[in-house]
Amino acid sequence: MGTLTASWRVTSVGVEGRQSKPHKGFRGAPPIPALVARLVYFMIRLENVSKMYGSELPAVRDASFDVPKGEFVFLVGPSGSGKSTLLRLMNRQERPERGNVWVAGRNINEMANSQIPHLRRTMGNVFQDYKLLPNKTVFENVAFALEVIGKPKHVIGQQVPQVLDLVGLSGKEDRFPHQLSGGEQQRVSIARAFVNRPLILLADEPTGNLDPATGEGIMGLLDAINRTGTTIVMATHDHRVVNAMRRRVIQLDRGVIVRDQERGVYE
Amino acid sequence: MIQRLSYAFRETIASFRRNMTLSVAAVITSAVSLLLVGTTFLIQRAFDNLLTQWRGDVGMIVFVRPDVTPEALGFIKQNLESQPNVIDVKKLEYLDKTQSFAEAQRVFAGDPTTLSLLSIETIPSQFKVVPKTTDPELVRSLANQYRTLPGVAGVSLAEDEFDVISTLSGFVRTVTIGMSLVLLAVAVILIWNTIRTAIFARRREIEVMKLVGATDWFIRVPFILEGLIQGLTGALVSCAGLWGLNSAWTSGVAGFKSGTGVSALVVPGSYVNGVMIALLIIGAVAGGVGSGVASSKFLDV
Repeated sequence: MGTLTASWRVTSVGVEGRQSKPHKGFRGAPPIPALVARLVYFMIRLENVSKMYGSELPAVRDASFDVPKGEFVFLVGPSGSGKSTLLRLMNRQERPERGNVWVAGRNINEMANSQIPHLRRTMGNVFQDYKLLPNKTVFENVAFALEVIGKPKHVIGQQVPQVLDLVGLSGKEDRFPHQLSGGEQQRVSIARAFVNRPLILLADEPTGNLDPATGEGIMGLLDAINRTGTTIVMATHDHRVVNAMRRRVIQLDRGVIVRDQERGVYE
Repeated sequence: MIQRLSYAFRETIASFRRNMTLSVAAVITSAVSLLLVGTTFLIQRAFDNLLTQWRGDVGMIVFVRPDVTPEALGFIKQNLESQPNVIDVKKLEYLDKTQSFAEAQRVFAGDPTTLSLLSIETIPSQFKVVPKTTDPELVRSLANQYRTLPGVAGVSLAEDEFDVISTLSGFVRTVTIGMSLVLLAVAVILIWNTIRTAIFARRREIEVMKLVGATDWFIRVPFILEGLIQGLTGALVSCAGLWGLNSAWTSGVAGFKSGTGVSALVVPGSYVNGVMIALLIIGAVAGGVGSGVASSKFLDV
């Protein structure tokens, strides 16, 4: 905890402009007290993280950075540069060989396996290939995310239409994924990721399969979600979206962070 | 909670449908293996009935006339106890009329004609003799000697009565237990494989479930339930088979002439019920273990 304490910065409630409820913490773990929740400034923090696959070159080498609460970060770089690995380290689909990953004030490498599901309920995931279930309708795909974490029916009936409205898919609840365009499918996947109001949204090439105009629409949606206070980390090699958004850019090259720039562009 | 249970059952049934052929194969295999396990139990019990008189190394039975005088009975006992070198006196056992009658109920379970002729008054009481010597000729000459004593109705020797049956019983037991164990292993492997296939068929769904934070048990339970139901269904089928087999056997034995000894091979209904319950438990446990191992191995959660 030592290093983290040193980097905490008190953010008064006023900065966020509204009185938000403190995060209750993961089930089974001691809840993060209200004061501490306000003190947690970094939603994600990586400390000298290295990840290797087998004996090959490290996928990520000695990566360190912080993502403050509510920030929108682009991870950029060519294929194989380690963007996806970084995202997988953040939701503990992978564990690093060296270094620590902190999420919402907790070291997730030290978390017991039984805690991981509760960690993941505070995060949403969006993928290039959408990962929708083909035999379920739009409504069922989104509801599935709530159903499998044991949310009661009335909550599902209330939250799913709300989030479908947010992503602009009202009226298409009963369609199946194959009856939708790529952009619409990605909206369903974003709805599924956001329906549980996560603290963090991890997006891996969300515009990778989409034409520029459709991709722009998706970026608008992610921007709107970011404005609700959700921290977003997005891996991409789409120059246009990075240059248009002018947000923080972390550039990777063969697993090493070579640039970390506020309001950056894709180079 | 109810919602989670209904989810688990819905998923289980859907998966059963998706894997129809494999599920049916697993059910049939477990049914056949459990039927064999059950049959082993019944055969063993039938042999036990047949051998019940001779349990505990009894080598010779001295039957005493039901109208024996106390003096004659005492004389027989004294005679038996006077041979400590040939007879294990400590294991010498006397079954009075009541005890002998209870034993006869078991020996003649499938022979109601003989059974109806017996009563506590008319049944011979008996001395069960455990010989110390391994020399059969010595025991035989002793038997001939006892036959002449007053009050003795007859003497039976184990050698004449059951040595063949005993050997046969041992052989049948080894073979049936061996075969049912092999088949049971096959059933568990088949269930294991069915669950593996079911997990593979649903890998996309499982990936999404993990990412949105479903707990390991939530993901696993439908698969474990599926294996458990397969094992249990197989057990139910085997119970039906066992019941049919036993009824056919019982009515077949009833056709034999009374007093041939075959009647002892009938197994009472209460014992069959006990075996059926055991089969249901074995089936459920085998299915649960097979699917449990498969789900923790292949889900990688």
